[in-house]
Amino acid sequence: MTTFSTTHPIWGRSGFAFLLSDTGGKILLGLLLAAVILVPILNLLVPASSPFHISTFMVSLFGKYLCYALLALSVDLIWGFAGILSLGHGAFFALGGYAMGMYLMRQIGTRGVYANPTLPDFMVFLNWKELPWTWYGFDMIWFALIMVVVVPGILAFAFGWLAFRSRVTGVYLSIITQALTFALMLAFFRNDMGFGGNNGLTDFKDLLGFNLQTDGMRVTLFVLTAVFLAASYILCRFIVSSRLGRVLIAIRDAESRTRFLGYRVANYQTFVFVISAMLAGIAGALYVPQIGIINPSEFAPANSIEIVIWVAIGGRGTLYGAVLGAILVNYGKSYFTGALPEAWLYMLGALFILVTIFLPKGVVGAWPTLKAKLQERIQSSKPKLEAAQ
Amino acid sequence: MEPEAALDRRLPLLSQKTLLLGMRILYERLVTLAFVLIALLISALPLQAASFEDALTGFTADSFNDTAQAIAAVTESGDPLAIQVLGALEEARLMFSAAAQKVYFKDKTDKLFDAATGVALATAPSDLNPVRLNNRLRGLLGTALGTLTLMAPNASKRMDAAQSVFKSRNASTLPALDKALAQEKDADVKEAMLEARAAIILNITDATPDEKIAAIAALAERGDNDAMVMLRGLPADAPANVKQAAAAAVNSIQSRLAIWGNIQNLWYGLSLASVLLLAAIGLAITFGVMGVINMAHGEMVMLGAYTTFVIQEFFRSYFPGATDYALIVATPAAFLVAGAFGVAIERGIIRHLYGRPLETLLATWGLSLILQQLVRTVFGPTNRDVGAPSWMSGAFQVGQMSITYNRLWIIVFSMVVFAALLALLRYTSFGLEMRAVTQNRAMASAMGIRTGRVDALTFGLGSGIAGIAGVALAHIDNVSPNLGKAYIIDSFMVVVFGGVGNLWGTLVGALTLGVANKFLEPFAGAVLGKIVILVLIILFIQKRPRGLFALKGRSVEA
Amino acid sequence: MTSLRKLALAGAIGLSSLCASAMVQAQTIKVGILHSLSGTMAISETTLKDVMLMLIEDQNKKGGLLGKKLEAVVVDPASDWPLFAEKARQLIAQDKVSVVFGCWTSVSRKSVLPVFKELNSVLFYPVQYEGEESEKNVFYTGAAPNQQAIPAVDYLMSKDGGEVKRWVLEGTDYVYPRTTNKILEAYLKAKGVKDEDILVNYTPFGFSDWQTQVSAIKKFGSAGKKTAVVSTVNGDANVPFYKELGNQGIKATDIPVVAFSVGEEELAGLDAKPLVGHLAAWNYFQSIKNPANEAFIKEWQAFTKNPKRTTNDPMEAHVIGFKMWVKAVEKAGTVDSDKVIAALPGIEVPNLTGGTSVMLANHHITKPVFIGEIKADGQFDIVWKTSGLVPGDAWSDFLPESKPLEADWVKLNCGNYNTVTKKCGGS
Repeated sequence: MTTFSTTHPIWGRSGFAFLLSDTGGKILLGLLLAAVILVPILNLLVPASSPFHISTFMVSLFGKYLCYALLALSVDLIWGFAGILSLGHGAFFALGGYAMGMYLMRQIGTRGVYANPTLPDFMVFLNWKELPWTWYGFDMIWFALIMVVVVPGILAFAFGWLAFRSRVTGVYLSIITQALTFALMLAFFRNDMGFGGNNGLTDFKDLLGFNLQTDGMRVTLFVLTAVFLAASYILCRFIVSSRLGRVLIAIRDAESRTRFLGYRVANYQTFVFVISAMLAGIAGALYVPQIGIINPSEFAPANSIEIVIWVAIGGRGTLYGAVLGAILVNYGKSYFTGALPEAWLYMLGALFILVTIFLPKGVVGAWPTLKAKLQERIQSSKPKLEAAQ
Repeated sequence: MEPEAALDRRLPLLSQKTLLLGMRILYERLVTLAFVLIALLISALPLQAASFEDALTGFTADSFNDTAQAIAAVTESGDPLAIQVLGALEEARLMFSAAAQKVYFKDKTDKLFDAATGVALATAPSDLNPVRLNNRLRGLLGTALGTLTLMAPNASKRMDAAQSVFKSRNASTLPALDKALAQEKDADVKEAMLEARAAIILNITDATPDEKIAAIAALAERGDNDAMVMLRGLPADAPANVKQAAAAAVNSIQSRLAIWGNIQNLWYGLSLASVLLLAAIGLAITFGVMGVINMAHGEMVMLGAYTTFVIQEFFRSYFPGATDYALIVATPAAFLVAGAFGVAIERGIIRHLYGRPLETLLATWGLSLILQQLVRTVFGPTNRDVGAPSWMSGAFQVGQMSITYNRLWIIVFSMVVFAALLALLRYTSFGLEMRAVTQNRAMASAMGIRTGRVDALTFGLGSGIAGIAGVALAHIDNVSPNLGKAYIIDSFMVVVFGGVGNLWGTLVGALTLGVANKFLEPFAGAVLGKIVILVLIILFIQKRPRGLFALKGRSVEA
Repeated sequence: MTSLRKLALAGAIGLSSLCASAMVQAQTIKVGILHSLSGTMAISETTLKDVMLMLIEDQNKKGGLLGKKLEAVVVDPASDWPLFAEKARQLIAQDKVSVVFGCWTSVSRKSVLPVFKELNSVLFYPVQYEGEESEKNVFYTGAAPNQQAIPAVDYLMSKDGGEVKRWVLEGTDYVYPRTTNKILEAYLKAKGVKDEDILVNYTPFGFSDWQTQVSAIKKFGSAGKKTAVVSTVNGDANVPFYKELGNQGIKATDIPVVAFSVGEEELAGLDAKPLVGHLAAWNYFQSIKNPANEAFIKEWQAFTKNPKRTTNDPMEAHVIGFKMWVKAVEKAGTVDSDKVIAALPGIEVPNLTGGTSVMLANHHITKPVFIGEIKADGQFDIVWKTSGLVPGDAWSDFLPESKPLEADWVKLNCGNYNTVTKKCGGS
């Protein structure tokens, strides 16, 4: 899992050299670049009758997958490289989503059913008289965008600072992150909180004045997500290839030893945890306008566990594996809930079990072993051939 | 006996018009009734029989108003069959035939009798329908039966009657009540009757202040919310000394109720704690002792609940008389079913994942999805009915606190399970081996312990206990495929809070969280209370990263 | 030469079969079914999927629709709200269904709403809900608050209902109970009920430890005035709630509980004996004696091969909705969304309780309201019903903000026309 960083001493080099040795990453970035160029053309310019046309349904579907991929990437950054298994990352994703959702709600303005210029519809019919303070500023996009990263960042900082300083690690950390997201879910379900309760925030109209319902906007959001995913990938790769990343890996593999060597383990952990939470927040913010709803069930502990499963299936500690896992699992889910509505849970459950037992390094990790085995077989068959001759 | 003039003055107070009309007649009838009740088998006067028969026809109209009038008329008739007819009506055994304009009642064995004569019928009329009731009629019926059964031979019937008189506070029952009081031997029933009498006296105008003060004392003795409300509702024109006595009584009741309120909360907390303990204790073994994060733990609980359902259904179909005892079979069955699943899971999945605790989480999560869907496919997505046996239904009163039997039994049950588990770990060779493997696997293996077998059995034990928890939870929650999911997070919280690897920690954890939750709930609300508890756990873990009772030693860091 | 001929023949057969399959596709009308078959809502929604399959099979036996067979397209949105939106898009855009029957919770409806608007399709929503909505693409066959909550309270205030003076509004914390309780509070106060005689309490989804709440109800009810509980407690939480009521000995004669989300299906999951006399308000009960209903129950039990299988209110809503859609398609002569939407208002179909339900211009329907008392066998005894059918009101008159709003898709072509400002909002 750690081969790429130990065999290539990359500090001291400049620019994007850290990407050179990363074959999987190059393929991923190449694919994302292709998608960014081709999808708009194939969706908007190629007529619907052509076999090369990509339907808007597919665009929005893959837009969603890419958001999940970004989320999985953020989990892999901490789980794969710092050994922090967060079972509550859905919380940061949802918080980012809520920040974006609140902006979109404020954008509706007088076009709500009650035509109230400031209050969203759900507040009007639940008799709110004025906007709660938590909603101040969300009519401005810059404020909302800052909040998308700041709110998850602050929560992650507060939580991480407390937890890592007290050396809460391993399973205990996983379980209290679950408590965190569970508590937030209960809180957001409360209608008294003023975030729309169970119904959440819906019925968005437009973003920066552009109608969300148009094909052009969907493609734009798709491209934006792909760009953010690529940028985040590069950022994560940079972090894990840097000196900081090496310390993180050291912490993952031998926390006490790293501490005794004089590193402030908690600071490193907190830093990477905050970065990861911010990325999750960005994923949430990109997700909400494409899906059209944000609701407390995004905080559900089950969702957070699923994110970890995407990473495990793709291949922990590789970054691109997380992206692949998120897309694979979600595509499977989309496909089987339509094709085998009664039996898809069996398939999904069996997939999780089989992958954890038989592919401990995930789909990506399985490739090198598979290749090695093939080569071995070819090589072992060679002497036989020679002997036969 | 008070003269009739006094009764007339009480009339304006009465709320029920039907009774108002028949007041004087009723009074006479009640005297007759007392006589009739003693000599139950002697047939009544012909005059009354005729009016009784007329009254019965009211039941044939299938209209709630007519039924209400018929209840009143039957009560007034004083006919010896009246109690049986009204009793049958209460239990939906009173039938009518619209064509024949006749009323019948069934006894408990479904034999049909003519309600007017009490003669058994050989053939039932074709258009037999039960007389329908609604809540208003059930209320009227309760009062009517209360008056009629104040002198019933069965003490619990008399108790019910006294309670219903207390509730109705109907002044017209006073004479019957006095008469019943004079004969009452059972101390509890007598007290209830005195309280009922006090409730009536408090509200009638012609009672003397002394009588009223005595009544207030009786109510203060009762000391519950009902009594307090009655005392507060004293008429404004009551004499000053009566008012004073009432105010003092209200104060004393209030302070006593406040104490009882806290005791009640404590009880609720204990009962929630017992549920948490049951749900978590299996996890304390699989997670705490083995270090396996079993996300399918909730599904083991669910399997236990469904086993209970299946066993109960089996009893219902084949031994309907013994359904109450289905639990005796269901408990070991649930243990075995869930335990067998546990062993299979350990051998099939977990075995391959030792040393990778976080991966067990993922695999068992997949497993939980499969098990949920499996149950959904086999039993359907809807809730299944696990009925409470008779010894687990209802409640009893301790002071001002009502204790429900099912909660009491669940507390007892959880304690028994806990003690049994503790004994198993401490006194059996399996327990010894299990502890040895937990503390030092390599050493234990070197000493000749078959660690693989111990692992499988330990996981089976943890799962089996989760199955037993399912037996208890089936009686208070939904038996549905989602049952397990609701408890998984709480269980993890309890185990982590208490300290992994320590059963006493789990017990203390469950008690603390249960009681704290129930004391928060009344003023913070159910949701906020739970959020506060979760936040407190998160903060607590910062303070003690290994929980309340942390294991010490080298194995901890591994 | 022969091989070439074979190839050509095979090609011809392949082509013709391809054409045939294309023609078969054109010959069916696709009906989307969007109900959760897994997750927390599967418990309620799976039944509705089965009802739809039965209705479609039935219609096909009668010869289909417009000379074509109906084809059900079932998907599983898995109680996952974003997945609801995705599946709705898949049904409409990819599978090209003509109509969708689906959703249970309000949030699932809210989640799919933008999709239906954008792709201009038709959704039939079969569950009682909080109102405050009327959309062009949605037809609400469940009850609006005025078709369930208000008649139930009226009944409890009547002599037969026990002349209730004190009210506990107990609900699960989400939009339907919140809105319903708001409407009820306003209504009760308009009827002269004082503030101190109303207790409102909310609990979370799937709540299972009801000891504190039930004892609070008991205490509130012992104040000397007749008290009733109006329960908007949702699905899963009901069983433990009723079990606790039964155990703490709260009898219907002391404190009746009237519920809006407890039907035959929920009662099948618990012992109804301690609950005898507690109430439910619905637009349909299985126990209603009527030839149409009896035939429906028989068919349903035959279809599910379970002679004990119960029917419930949202099932009837789907029956009405489906019949209405069939009639509207026949009237329009096409499955084209705009034409079907235009044809639907005014369509009349017999419901299962002996009346005739009409689709109104606000996309809600007329329904009778029944109050049933729970019987020991888990069925209901109808103790009261409205004299006629009650038209569904999208915008409650008891909420100040929604009072001036009116929905009329026929004359005004607007779901939220403000009668004060004379403007159609939200456009």
